[in-house]
Amino acid sequence: MSFEKNLLQMKKLIKKKPATKQSVAPFVTPQKPSYSKAWEDEGLSIVENKFGVVFEKKIVYAPEHVHGDFKLKEIFEAFTLWNSFKGEHPISTDGKKIVFFDTETTGLKGTGTYIFLIGQLTWNEDHFEMTQHVLADPSHEAALLYECGLWKPGQTVITYNGKSFDWPQLQTRWTLNREHLPILADPIHIDLLHGSRRVWRNELDQFKLVHLEVEKLGFKRVGDIPGHLAPIIYMDAVKSGVPTTLLKVLHHNEWDILSLLTLFIHSTKLILQEQYNNSSVSSTNIGKWFSDLKDFDKGQSVFEQIIKEYSKTEAAQAFYFLGFEYKRRKQMILAYEAFEQSLINLSDVFQIQAYEELAKIAEHVKKDYLAAQVHVEKAVLLIRNTKHLKPLQKERKNWAFDKRLKRLVNKQTISRASARFDRK
Amino acid sequence: MRKKQTISDILIEWKQDPVMRERIVHWHTIDKKAATLADFPADLHMSIQQALKERGINQLYSHQRQAYDMARTGHSFTAITPTASGKSLCYHLPVLQSIVEDSSSRALYLFPTKALAQDQKSDLNLLIEQMNQDILSYTYDGDTSPAIRTKVRKAGHIVLTNPDMLHSGILPHHTKWVSLFENLKYIVVDELHTYKGVFGSHVAHVLRRLKRICHYYGSNPVFICTSATIANPKELAESLTNESHQLIDQNGAPSGKKNFIFYNPPIVHPTFGVRRSAILEVRDLSKRLYNESIQTIVFAKSRVRVEMLVTYLKELTKKKIHDESIRGYRGGYLPSERRLIEKGLRDGTIRTVVSTNALELGVDIGQLQACIMTGYPGNIASTWQQAGRAGRRQDEALIIYVAQSTALDQYVVNNPAFLLGQSPEEARIYPDNLIILMDHLKCASFELPFKTTEQYGEFEIQELLAYLEAEGILVRTSDKWHWMSDRFPAHEISLRSASQENVIIIDQTIPAETKVIGEMDRYSAMTLLHEEAIYLHQGIQFQVEKLDWEEKKAFVREVDVDYFTDANLAVELKVMSEDRKKTFENGSVFYGDVSILAMATIFKKIRFDTHDNIGSGPIRLPPEELHTSSSWLSFERPPGWTDAMLTDAMTGTATSIASFIPLFVQCDRRDIHVVPQVKSIHAELPTFFVYDSYPGGIGISERVFDVWPELLEYVQSHVTSCPCDQGCPACIGPQESTIGLKDEVVKLLAYLQIETKGESYVI
Repeated sequence: MSFEKNLLQMKKLIKKKPATKQSVAPFVTPQKPSYSKAWEDEGLSIVENKFGVVFEKKIVYAPEHVHGDFKLKEIFEAFTLWNSFKGEHPISTDGKKIVFFDTETTGLKGTGTYIFLIGQLTWNEDHFEMTQHVLADPSHEAALLYECGLWKPGQTVITYNGKSFDWPQLQTRWTLNREHLPILADPIHIDLLHGSRRVWRNELDQFKLVHLEVEKLGFKRVGDIPGHLAPIIYMDAVKSGVPTTLLKVLHHNEWDILSLLTLFIHSTKLILQEQYNNSSVSSTNIGKWFSDLKDFDKGQSVFEQIIKEYSKTEAAQAFYFLGFEYKRRKQMILAYEAFEQSLINLSDVFQIQAYEELAKIAEHVKKDYLAAQVHVEKAVLLIRNTKHLKPLQKERKNWAFDKRLKRLVNKQTISRASARFDRK
Repeated sequence: MRKKQTISDILIEWKQDPVMRERIVHWHTIDKKAATLADFPADLHMSIQQALKERGINQLYSHQRQAYDMARTGHSFTAITPTASGKSLCYHLPVLQSIVEDSSSRALYLFPTKALAQDQKSDLNLLIEQMNQDILSYTYDGDTSPAIRTKVRKAGHIVLTNPDMLHSGILPHHTKWVSLFENLKYIVVDELHTYKGVFGSHVAHVLRRLKRICHYYGSNPVFICTSATIANPKELAESLTNESHQLIDQNGAPSGKKNFIFYNPPIVHPTFGVRRSAILEVRDLSKRLYNESIQTIVFAKSRVRVEMLVTYLKELTKKKIHDESIRGYRGGYLPSERRLIEKGLRDGTIRTVVSTNALELGVDIGQLQACIMTGYPGNIASTWQQAGRAGRRQDEALIIYVAQSTALDQYVVNNPAFLLGQSPEEARIYPDNLIILMDHLKCASFELPFKTTEQYGEFEIQELLAYLEAEGILVRTSDKWHWMSDRFPAHEISLRSASQENVIIIDQTIPAETKVIGEMDRYSAMTLLHEEAIYLHQGIQFQVEKLDWEEKKAFVREVDVDYFTDANLAVELKVMSEDRKKTFENGSVFYGDVSILAMATIFKKIRFDTHDNIGSGPIRLPPEELHTSSSWLSFERPPGWTDAMLTDAMTGTATSIASFIPLFVQCDRRDIHVVPQVKSIHAELPTFFVYDSYPGGIGISERVFDVWPELLEYVQSHVTSCPCDQGCPACIGPQESTIGLKDEVVKLLAYLQIETKGESYVI
């Protein structure tokens, strides 16, 4: 029966009375869900605390455990690399109290979205330990949040897209249970999605973790469930009490977290490698990242290595950024050469930028107005033909180049006139 | 050079001019009124007093003082505030005082639109600046940049937003707004009268959800509502907020003498009752006032008309360079452009402004000398809002209402008592609409789980929650109902319509820049958005090129044609239940639920001026079902009438009834349908059905149930007094031939009058 057809019957259900005030009740520990036994039979253990119950699954990995191209213990090499790195970097860490963290939720946003699975991977004396906590039912939420221990201070969490998703979700859930729970900690948070975008920009076209696994981490999942089905599977498990498929979600979460760890190893090694010879694109990205972090020396040295290692075509982008590094250091002639080299293989938008820089240096440093004019004219042609600028951007750039062009023509007239004057 | 005439000079001249005397149907004067003042409240913070004095305010109007006192003693109230009566101080003062006293205090201001919130923010910020205090006020809407959102949530003392944003952007994320909800002292609902019908019913629920969240965080805010003059402000405020309200209806602001002129354009075609176009009349009147340097606001109903009038009037200034003394003002202008026009009006550089009803609401443009309305604005409340734009404190003001040739307009111009003699319409909402209720129950469940003992607003909802559990949306644990779905319900529910599935209208005039220009409920879409239909949007003509019924998309392209389309809708109407009944001598009126099966059959192309039928075509759409509430009038067949006679007469009468229902209930013509049946399936008697256009009903036909006798009386007196011979668009609709149908309608109405006037009793 359609909703509209139910209308008449439903109408009888509407009853009204003046609003009464609800009194705030003290915390009452909720009842254990009826399906507890069934879930325990599937291998989940039940943990009780003062807020109710939570289901738990623990998995232990030896340091030698292999996931894709990496052994888990290589994480310690990554920590060592960071510890010897002098400087600041968003993904740098001292390697203490590290938690690799990922959640599964019943929706995408808002207070009606529950976190139903919290997975955490930590190092425990001589082995890695995965702890997964599953929400027993929505009334046991405080129990889940308390048990996950993220209120304990001093931890560093490493996530994939956790800054805009998992952690705000956790804060939302925490706020809804705040009168009972200890305050949520504000840990150091390293989000590897951001880092991956920086490292593999222009090289990968999507940044789903599963995609990275295949392309970069040498790992291929077999029998995984698609992530978007996770909410439905959990909700079905709660409504029906049958947890079989839910275990697949736990497995999915386990893979996510193991890949998160190997991704950290891989990114660290790329960023802090001795020789930037892995790929010209990602190496250039890494150099640019250092420059943006104001670590100009490191940035410049990365670009210079790329230029040595790779063909001029592959190094074009590095030349381009190197141009800016030289310009920053007022080494204008070097900058000019670098920008000229970069032109060989740049996208049109970058080319327009490079021509602008060339025109500036030609005009103000080299006083070669004709050369400057040529650069401007090339840029204007590119602006006209590019498909990568919006009309408004085109208009703005055209306006600026037009002004420059007029000035250059003017300067040439003056300098010709003064040359004639000198001859006299 | 000739001396410029004043308003009184012009009025004296018009009184003697025979042409004008014929066109001016009625002349009404409202005497001037002195201000009623009150001292600043003793506890009003020095910084606020300072700021007011800086603005030249040394005393408050009595209603502002009353508002302050009520708010400060924790009473929710509604203040009736005509245009330019200083309404914003009614809420600014208590709000700012509470923040100065305790900087953790918060207030939430709700405006019906984003633009109004932004307008009010600049005014509020100026006041705060003059106070020289550290108070943060922000607008929060779709335009708020993500960068400052966190700041607004955590630190904004006063947050200005709109109901749609509250519904989908704030309430479902309430955990990010803890400091607001914990410390919320005041909720301001400005322009209360705009919350009516479907939109108002939705907003009533948004406010119930808001109160529920406040209660969760331990705050109990006071509601401050301001409204234009309507018949039932207190009732509306109370049903909107589910809270008892005090009413402040004594306004202390002064006003000058006002001359209200009812102007009817001359008849140019006596047989068809066609009058000269109101637009041309308005053009001539405004030119006259412009030439006398009288600052004037002209209201027109659509953007196109605004532009037309501006073009006509600019003729006056075309010889001057850079002359900005005539301007248009409507939605679609950039905010900066609008600010410039507002400023020009205040400082007098703009002499004539032509506006849509955008300037009816609380935008500060100061007071002008004259106001011209092109056509009846649709309801009494709006008329007074628009008229209120004219009238400086000391000066005489001129208000001219120029009638169009529609039924409603002709009635209003010929019955001045209707506008002047009675209170404005009621604004009604209907939060009981089951579909709307269920929609918001979902949103509320999403926001916070309901307890198994909880009620929602005035509703007991446990059985409804059980229904949602059966639907698989909620899960019940020992003491609560939890949201268990990956959907985000607020995104699926639009406050501006009742049906859940709307047809989206996509403009593809420029292929590279297709854009959505509107939406329409499915039921109306059948007759208005079928393929080849001419769809009017803000006065611009579009032709529907493709209607994708499955995907609910209509693709339109701008056209310029001289016809409109009219579709036939075959309606099968079944009565599902009779809830109320009143019986008269030979007939009865009912209220209950009906099911309507409607199918669009054919459409006709009709030429604008002549109403010639210039073509037609079939419509191929599946039938639509609508369950809604209805009120119907069944009567014994008048002796001696044949089926054919009755069919025609009832059709004409239905047209007329439909035009007049908006007189009794503030609603749009589109919100109701009137269907005549010579022999209803229900009772086998001739019957007029009036039903709400929205699934589940929206309270209009329930109201109609109570007013059938008055409604028929209005219709009869209007049709009888209409000067046309054979029926015209102004009364029973245009007639194709001279078959004397108008007489039949009058006879039928007279008969019905007797029927319904008899002693009635309620079953």
